[in-house]
Amino acid sequence: MKNIFKSFLSTIAVLAILFSNAQAGSVKIGTEGAYPPWNAKDESGKLIGFEVELANWLCIYMKADCTIVEQDWDGMIPGLIMRKYDAIMAGMSITGERMKVINFSQGYADEVAQLAVMKGSSLEGMDTPSGINLSLGGSNVKSALKTLTGALAGKTVCVQTATIHQNFLESGDVGSVTVRTYKTQDEVNLDLAAGRCDAALAAAVAFTDYAEKSGKPVVLTGPTFSGGAFGNGVGVGIRKDDTDLLKAFNSAIDQARTSGKISELAIKWFGFDASM
Amino acid sequence: MGLLAFGDTGWGDELFFATLMTIAVAAAAIFIGFFLAAIFASFKLSKIRILNLIGSFYTTVFRGVPELLVIYLFFFGGSGAIMYVAKIFGYDGYIEINAFITGAISIGLISGAYSTEVFRGAIQSINKGQFEASEVLGFKKKIYYYKIIIPQMLRLALPNISNVWQITLKDTSLISVTGLVEIMRMSYIAAGSTRDPLFFYSFAAVLYLFLTFLSMKLFNKLELHYNKGY
Repeated sequence: MKNIFKSFLSTIAVLAILFSNAQAGSVKIGTEGAYPPWNAKDESGKLIGFEVELANWLCIYMKADCTIVEQDWDGMIPGLIMRKYDAIMAGMSITGERMKVINFSQGYADEVAQLAVMKGSSLEGMDTPSGINLSLGGSNVKSALKTLTGALAGKTVCVQTATIHQNFLESGDVGSVTVRTYKTQDEVNLDLAAGRCDAALAAAVAFTDYAEKSGKPVVLTGPTFSGGAFGNGVGVGIRKDDTDLLKAFNSAIDQARTSGKISELAIKWFGFDASM
Repeated sequence: MGLLAFGDTGWGDELFFATLMTIAVAAAAIFIGFFLAAIFASFKLSKIRILNLIGSFYTTVFRGVPELLVIYLFFFGGSGAIMYVAKIFGYDGYIEINAFITGAISIGLISGAYSTEVFRGAIQSINKGQFEASEVLGFKKKIYYYKIIIPQMLRLALPNISNVWQITLKDTSLISVTGLVEIMRMSYIAAGSTRDPLFFYSFAAVLYLFLTFLSMKLFNKLELHYNKGY
């Protein structure tokens, strides 16, 4: 009986190995394929999106042989833990809750915040980088904040009340601006369009959506903000014991950021610099 | 309607293949279910107590645990169990069980639990005289079951089998969580990617109703066939 059991098990094991498609030295990246512009599918059924292209670039920097696999959102983290794939790039924000189960690389992009003004405003076309990450700091960030401080001096900036955007404006990072708060983002948009605000600060996508729907000439200006008070953004999810892969992803993201690749892809897919 | 075009410009071909996948999973599941039901229904009707218990255990567990949970257990637990066994034999890597096989087995187990009760009920509804007469006429048990009892059982069971089939067909939508691209998952992807959820989910509903309609026609025909003598 024991022998029968053993041979049964080995048969299953052999079959399972035959059915498996595990490859040494390759990285499998899981994504959802239904969350544009982060990741989606086109009409021919091909995976497209910001993260799909970024994943391919990161793999070039890591010199890894990558495949991107689809997974439903609900099973995303269990699938990673079960080793269905080795990394998650699915618009997944880095949160403390998720950090209990898996590791995250540094953030590569976010639903970034940006200033908006009406077309023709003196604040349009500020001389700053397209995006700054407050967590990284450095001379880049400092000079951008200095430019902003100068430009915004004496101006009224509108924000939704009790948001990270209000906190940032009142933190003193951009000098002493007059902050006017509103209960909803819709009211901010309306008063910006009505000329009662010199500028407004919110998630960049809130302004692009409003401009598209209302047809009002609202334009984004200055750098996109991420990191610091704006949160940790979206990163690559990796198993806790996979520290080598985590290091590889972190340095690949560094390379992609310095070479401007993340910004380039973000502007292509989001219409603004969502990189961080 | 451009959204439903076939080829690289629309979602028509993707949804068509997704529909075939739904049918394939449902068909595989119902046959796995019938196979299990044949075994467990005979367990439940057996005079041996331990077999009764095994039969009741099966139908209670798989009718009692939510379908989605069974799928999760198989999808995540199944790979884990096989990898554990493989590790004993010295293979340390990721082993994936095909999502189709996982789906068909887990839905089949659930559908089998319902079918078991259907088969049991149908056999018990057959007049006791039929069994006694068969024995008196000297048929062996194997022969009279195949020639006399099961044909009568099928007639009685058909309306309920039709029910089980409809449930099984709809349960396949739950397999979308494993990433298997059937109607539900494809509509989800198309809805997300085009940001037009109402259109694609409505179309998915139409596809399911269409499948239901086809199955109804088929079962009506079968019922007519098995009721010929009545």
